[in-house]
Amino acid sequence: MPNIVIDDREIEVPAGTKVIDAARQLDIMIPRFCYHVALGSVGACRVCAVKFVEGPFKGVQMSCMIDAKDGMVVSTTDEEAVEFRKYVIECLMLHHPHDCPVCDEGGHCLLQDMTISGGHGIRRYLGSKRTYRDQYLGPLVQHEMNRCIHCYRCSRFYQEFAGYRDLGVMQSANRVFFGRYEDGILESPFTGNLSDICPTGVYTDKPSRFIGRRWDYERSPSLCINCSLGCHTVASARYRQLVRQEARYSEEVNGYFICDRGRYGFFYASHEKRPRRALVEGEEVAYHQAIDTVREKLAQISGSAGPEAIACLSSERSSLETQAMLKRVCQNKNWSGPLFFMEQSLAEKVKTATARLEPGLTVSLRELEQADFILAVGADPINEAPMLALAMRQAQRFGGRVVVIDPRPIFLPFDFQHLPVRLHEVDLYLSLMIKAAVDRETATELGPSAAEFYQTIPTLETAAVPLQEQIATLAQELRGCQRPVIVCGTEVVPQTTPALAADQVLLLKAMDKQTGLFYLMPGANTFGASLLSGDDGSFSTTLESIEKGKIKALIVTERDLFWKYQNKQRLERIIEKLDLLVVLDYVDSETAQKSDVFFPVSSLYEAGGVFINQEGRVQVAPKVYLGGTPIKQNSGGGHPPRVYGVGIPGSEPRPAWQVVVEIGNGELPPDEETAFATTRKWLAEGNPVFANLPPIDQFPDDGVRLGPALDVGSRFSLDWQTERHPKRNSDGLELILVDWTFGTEELSIYSPHLRQVEKEPCLSMHTSDAVRLGLSSGDKVAIRFDGGRVEASLCVAENMASGVIVMPRHRLLEWQKIKELPRIVRFEEIEKVSV
Amino acid sequence: MLPTELRASLAEQIASVDHPRELLVDVMFAVQDHYGYLSDQAVEEVADLLGMTPLEVEELATFYTFVYRHRVGKYVIHVCDSVICWMDGHESLVEHLERKLEIKMGETTPDGLFTLLPVCCIGYCDRAPAILINKKVYGPLTPEKIDEILAKLQGEA
Ligand code: SF4
Ligand code: SF4
Ligand code: FES
Repeated sequence: MPNIVIDDREIEVPAGTKVIDAARQLDIMIPRFCYHVALGSVGACRVCAVKFVEGPFKGVQMSCMIDAKDGMVVSTTDEEAVEFRKYVIECLMLHHPHDCPVCDEGGHCLLQDMTISGGHGIRRYLGSKRTYRDQYLGPLVQHEMNRCIHCYRCSRFYQEFAGYRDLGVMQSANRVFFGRYEDGILESPFTGNLSDICPTGVYTDKPSRFIGRRWDYERSPSLCINCSLGCHTVASARYRQLVRQEARYSEEVNGYFICDRGRYGFFYASHEKRPRRALVEGEEVAYHQAIDTVREKLAQISGSAGPEAIACLSSERSSLETQAMLKRVCQNKNWSGPLFFMEQSLAEKVKTATARLEPGLTVSLRELEQADFILAVGADPINEAPMLALAMRQAQRFGGRVVVIDPRPIFLPFDFQHLPVRLHEVDLYLSLMIKAAVDRETATELGPSAAEFYQTIPTLETAAVPLQEQIATLAQELRGCQRPVIVCGTEVVPQTTPALAADQVLLLKAMDKQTGLFYLMPGANTFGASLLSGDDGSFSTTLESIEKGKIKALIVTERDLFWKYQNKQRLERIIEKLDLLVVLDYVDSETAQKSDVFFPVSSLYEAGGVFINQEGRVQVAPKVYLGGTPIKQNSGGGHPPRVYGVGIPGSEPRPAWQVVVEIGNGELPPDEETAFATTRKWLAEGNPVFANLPPIDQFPDDGVRLGPALDVGSRFSLDWQTERHPKRNSDGLELILVDWTFGTEELSIYSPHLRQVEKEPCLSMHTSDAVRLGLSSGDKVAIRFDGGRVEASLCVAENMASGVIVMPRHRLLEWQKIKELPRIVRFEEIEKVSV
Repeated sequence: MLPTELRASLAEQIASVDHPRELLVDVMFAVQDHYGYLSDQAVEEVADLLGMTPLEVEELATFYTFVYRHRVGKYVIHVCDSVICWMDGHESLVEHLERKLEIKMGETTPDGLFTLLPVCCIGYCDRAPAILINKKVYGPLTPEKIDEILAKLQGEA
């Protein structure tokens, strides 16, 4: 490892470290514009110049272009280097429009900082300035090309790092232009990162334009809860309004970037329609009055029908505190539940995944970037967890192979191999490939059950499936790789897949490979939900009990029943039937609107909270601001109203866990730290993994990965003999309900800006099925479901399985008319709607 | 729209290579020869043929001197704009051309015959000062020789 001296201090760094990075390890920040740790060096801006005094290079050189070598002595403060950098800055400012006062980057602009620290204040250049015409890039990013210093960060991020192809660099010399071929909405779902990485104000955050300077904001680290990855963010609020989110660096989770769903998904928090008062039968009441009403009614019900007539339903987007508190109250009161899932099969799959994430197998998102073979089964990264796609792209860029086994028309921003097989074939194809890659002896070494498991998997030859050759070639590659990772979804896959994926990972590991397992889960805190959810009861039995009148009251925390349930009519009926529906939420959901008693609760930004991401990483989101109605909303744009009163207007919402405690007539702990400590103590009694968590204010930035969280259960237990292989449906298509990047996630749909980038919802089917039905892309079709017709346009695709029809749970589709799942859509139920 | 034949022959060439992208310059030239310059429509057609995005084509088209994104004259005169030619009378050469054709660098004569453009070193330093006219090199040049060449081209047009 080379030893290098920078500014008279010595440091040893790994071979290949650039001098600019070696300096950083000594806490010396050499100026930079084009260099970015995630994007690498290009030597375009020349502002990182330092003086090489001893060693293989001499004189003023670019510290981002030179690897640290033994014997190097470098000075960053040398007069010649300082002067050089000063001229570079002056030169980069030649064409700058000097519009910092009206630029949204002003105040957190690297160019501004460098200009000031370089001492450039007086303009000497008298020539005319180069000017550009800006482009419309969509609702998320504002373009102002005149501020550009040609560092190429944007085009490198957009094309090389993220793999999208509609923004880049055009022209030459003094005309170099960064943008699109023509005006239009940027196609990538990672565009917000442009605003983060551009060192000047060319790309700025459009939704927060002209709202404030960074120092005006209440800024705090936060977490993204728009999918299960738990990316790190910085949230900013001003005048009681959440206005902006940026990516926050995380070594283990998201690196430097986040996706647009996460970045712009926060608008629910300051939404105009956000309910801020407690309601009883639709009438606004004081918080304590609502608590009293609920307690009274619950006591009545409990008295007359027994405590089990009260059921509780928690959610995957609730913090661990809220989930745990609800469970505690339920136990103390002998109420039914709480349930954490509305779909029992999903609950079981997620539980299996949680149990099978053994230490030694789990990989983080950043570790996944190191994989040389990624096999994704039943996962659609761009749509289900966008940042996963970006991590997979990094693996692929550095030579890794990516294979996806999934029936959906999968798009990824890089080359990959897609085996578009039907859902019930996913297990088979995964196993065929692993079996072809793993020797019998290796499997035998893992014990008799592994040997038997291996034995029962059909071989490629006997299985005689389509795509046989492709699988054989891929298996060969898999054999030769060192760091394979299996990515496994939990939503669309068959019941058996999560366990099977773990078994196959064990087989690969036995081949002396550094093997990883990475599950996707449906919500931000699904992992927490699965740790807490008990074995008793499912949502469908709860529904039946309500219908039979056995359950009379339902308490729902932070969940919209209608959002992900396929039978709207049934829900409406059971809500009618209930004596009492209590809803706690921070959005005005359909369920909230139908509640008898409603409690407004704090959002993540006001309450903070603990969330466990899909790899079992426990992370803490601190509070960002105190909450309250945004001044803009209650002032009508003018001075805030002069209303006499104490407290912040609109700040009635409180953390959901507190409301839960009070509903259960418990004593509120004196402060939150005590609350967390006691909750954790109680959690640890139930599950020892919680015992070793640090106190809430001492959590490391990247959280704490839980140890083995649940009993692993039996490995290698899938029995291929009895595995049913449903034959092809000759008279219909299997319906698959899916997520999309935009338009299907419960919180981000409140963002008016994301609504503009949403695609129009469409149904997808394979070309062969479309031909059979006489349909083509763009046709408007209607499906007759048991609850009514659903109309949407059709996308015909070659890159998906035949025999299936894919439908997004999109806010603009009334898919809740489906009624029963699983569902085969018979051909005669699909018809073309003439326009 | 490109004629079907040209389209087909380009598609065939593209199909015969492993990385279609490597043919981008050739395809742009072929399409430019057809239209006379690379119009927006041409950029989109090239992109479509090669499975690239219009942006990716534009990145190269606007970088490369010999791809014309605007209408040009029948004869495109590229005047070498590099050190050796500078030493050997580039400036007076440009002046002469501009005066003679009554246009500035970057412009086209109203009759659509000549377009004047700079080009960085074309490698004919031994014949400085040099120019290219429709890819043919002329040099070393004097005002008289230029007049001769222009007259000849005007006669041929
Ligand atoms: S637009 Fe910004 S990121 Fe892109 S080259 Fe210019 S200064 Fe750099
Ligand atoms: S990938 Fe998921 S967690 Fe990360 S920013 Fe996007 S929505 Fe949020
Ligand atoms: S940071 Fe080194 S040249 Fe730009």
